[in-house]
Amino acid sequence: MDKDKEKDQQPPHPEAGYSIGGASEQAGVTNGIQAKAPKQRGQWAEVWHRLKKNRMAMFGLTVIVIIILTAIFADVAAPYSYRTQNLRRIAESPSRDHWLGTDELGRDIFSRIIYGTRISLQVGFVAVSISVIAGGFLGAVSGYYGGKLDNIIMRLMDVLLAIPAILLAIAIVSAFGGGLVNVMIAVGISSIPIYARIVKASVISIKEQEFIEAARAVGAKDFRIIFKHVLPNAMAPIIVQGTIGVAIAILSAAGLSFIGLGIQPPTPEWGAMLSGGRMFIRTAPHIATFPGIAIMITIFALNLLGDGLRDALDPRLKQ
Amino acid sequence: MKKLLVFSLLAVLLASPLAARGAAEQVTDEKPANKGTLEVVMGADARSLDPQRTNDQPSARVMKQIYETLMHQTEDLEIQPGLAESYEVVSPTEFLFTLKRGVKFHNGEELTSHDVKYTFERMREINAPAAFLVAALDRVEVIDDYNFKMVLNFPFGPFIAHLGHPATAIINRKAVEAAGEDYGRNPVGTGPFKFVEWRSGDAIVLERYDGYHKGPAMSERIRFRFIAEDTNRAIALETGEADIIYDVGPNDFGGLAANDALTTYQTVGLTTFYMGFNAEKKPFDDLRVRRAINLALDVELATEVAFQGYASAAKGPLAPTVMFANQDLPGYGYDPDEAKRLLAEAGYANGFTTSIWTNDNPIRIRYAEIFQEQLAQVGITTRIEIMEFAPYLDRTAQGEHDMFMLGWVAVTGDADYGLYSLFHSSQFGDAGNRTFWGNDEVDRLLDLAKESPDFAEREAAYARAQEIIFEEAPWVFLAFRDDLNATRAWVQGFVPHSAGHHGLYGVYNK
Repeated sequence: MDKDKEKDQQPPHPEAGYSIGGASEQAGVTNGIQAKAPKQRGQWAEVWHRLKKNRMAMFGLTVIVIIILTAIFADVAAPYSYRTQNLRRIAESPSRDHWLGTDELGRDIFSRIIYGTRISLQVGFVAVSISVIAGGFLGAVSGYYGGKLDNIIMRLMDVLLAIPAILLAIAIVSAFGGGLVNVMIAVGISSIPIYARIVKASVISIKEQEFIEAARAVGAKDFRIIFKHVLPNAMAPIIVQGTIGVAIAILSAAGLSFIGLGIQPPTPEWGAMLSGGRMFIRTAPHIATFPGIAIMITIFALNLLGDGLRDALDPRLKQ
Repeated sequence: MKKLLVFSLLAVLLASPLAARGAAEQVTDEKPANKGTLEVVMGADARSLDPQRTNDQPSARVMKQIYETLMHQTEDLEIQPGLAESYEVVSPTEFLFTLKRGVKFHNGEELTSHDVKYTFERMREINAPAAFLVAALDRVEVIDDYNFKMVLNFPFGPFIAHLGHPATAIINRKAVEAAGEDYGRNPVGTGPFKFVEWRSGDAIVLERYDGYHKGPAMSERIRFRFIAEDTNRAIALETGEADIIYDVGPNDFGGLAANDALTTYQTVGLTTFYMGFNAEKKPFDDLRVRRAINLALDVELATEVAFQGYASAAKGPLAPTVMFANQDLPGYGYDPDEAKRLLAEAGYANGFTTSIWTNDNPIRIRYAEIFQEQLAQVGITTRIEIMEFAPYLDRTAQGEHDMFMLGWVAVTGDADYGLYSLFHSSQFGDAGNRTFWGNDEVDRLLDLAKESPDFAEREAAYARAQEIIFEEAPWVFLAFRDDLNATRAWVQGFVPHSAGHHGLYGVYNK
């Protein structure tokens, strides 16, 4: 209970909203220095247990697993190639041959959406990895050391935050050209500051605790403390933000492709497909509708899972 | 509270298509409100209303109503007297003009020879974007208020035709000097409409000029509005928000044509679409490769798909409406086997990897995607690079590209405009020749035809030049786009101009 009081005395920080918190866990973590491995597994098992009770989150998780499986087995699942054109059968409505119809160049929309899962998931996960790794490192360093270094890093992050993410991504893609890799880098860079702030906030709250002091007392180096003791305990908010971040990244990439700056044809990126069908919205609305639905379902599922994870990782929010 | 919000949102969402349908059904044959104002919607805002500061289509479409030129180019591209009542050819480099009397600018000044002299001198002085049109002009000699002489440096065949180009509109010194830097937003001309206001990105309003020398225009006011998306322009016309829309999207045209309350216009334009090769780069410096790619592409089918049928496949560089277009060129046809043979002969039996550049124009992107697939059939792997228009023009002018997609409007309707900038070796880069392909014989023919006042000689020279261009294949000739425009049925007197800047003098809402 002391711990909680201590916490309350800290200045309220908007991003400190989640933390593994909770008296019982605090105890677990403090003990964790001696019996770390089994106790931590227990902690994650409990999270999983709580997550399982959340139906919406499980629905989101199921959809995402299906999407991941689709991406892995796209070659088997797709009835046609994503790039074969049939210029004599363009913009056809859904039929038995083409379940979701054909697009403006006579390609099978169903197959393109299936292959598109690969692109979207790749963009989502790689972009988030970039921002988590870079943002996490910057946030950890500035939170742990504080002082001047913290000031410099955080002001840089403020500058980045002051530029709308999509605008920053557009600028990066315009400067370095389109293509899958550049889009992932652009989307990744534009959300670094979000992770830097979150990680910094949790690092600040964790580094004052006894087990860190203990680690320092036995002579552990800063590097070891940050990576072995601080960051593992700051994972919860990163996981939550990361799940939602994948959704944001997929949307940003789709947005970039929609305005023609993203992935180059004939890559079946959902945003690019939407953009291609835009001209036909009144004569053949299915061309733009189906990729739009695919984006929507994916984002929806990721957001449900993200919300569920937040609740599961921080039970206090439920009360 | 939340539930209420969700329900009301749902209700609005459900009601909106119904409401839209209701509005669409209220179509009548008479314009409901403000009959005197002609609402014209086009794709982009004007850049300037100073004819010597810009040479772009949206600006020209507005300026056409405000200004007039010495010669008048009819909708069918015939050249008739405009502000000049008559002219006389003294020698191939000397023309005597007589101005129409009693023509007044919107500021009350009378049009005299001094205005003409001022116009062409200023054009050169400030290096107007369209100054090349009258590059041959040496000086204007004022004889008296209504008579003047134009003296050229060298004979220039299309000179008289160029005096009908909207960029050579006659301006008034007093008005230009009074407005100073802001002249582009305070234009003064002799045309049937005078300028009222310009809200950037939204609308330009013009008002009938009652002192117009041919009698007042049919409409009291014109409001030009700008809607970038093709579909949104079509919707604006359907709802009656617009009386006239320019550049209907190929996807929307069929729907508008089927609507009885609307009138649609499909006319053969002056625009050529092409895919150019960078002939300075390998492997496009090899004629066999350029020909092979021409043969490997099914241009006819691609054009049908890309333009939804609102264009004709091109066989040469000039649209049939352009004067001196050679219509006897056979076209390359679609022959992938021959293409493979030529590639093998050129040493590319296993194909090669290259790129197609295009700006973010959906029709060009569609062409590029089709060609990517067709080139893959003969072993050529292509990457498609999509760029924004400004960097696209810059980088293709620098010659960084392999293949690129562009279009060209032969605005004056003369072969000189349609060929010189694109194929003469003096025009490499930004001037227009982005293929960096040059040919001494073509240079000679284009120069000859440019300077010759003799019709037959020009015709023969242009015919031969087009044959060589066809055989040398610096381009894949893609399509001649149809111009698509539409009006409400209550709009009377609209005649689309082949060059895209439609005159609205006699147009009104019935």
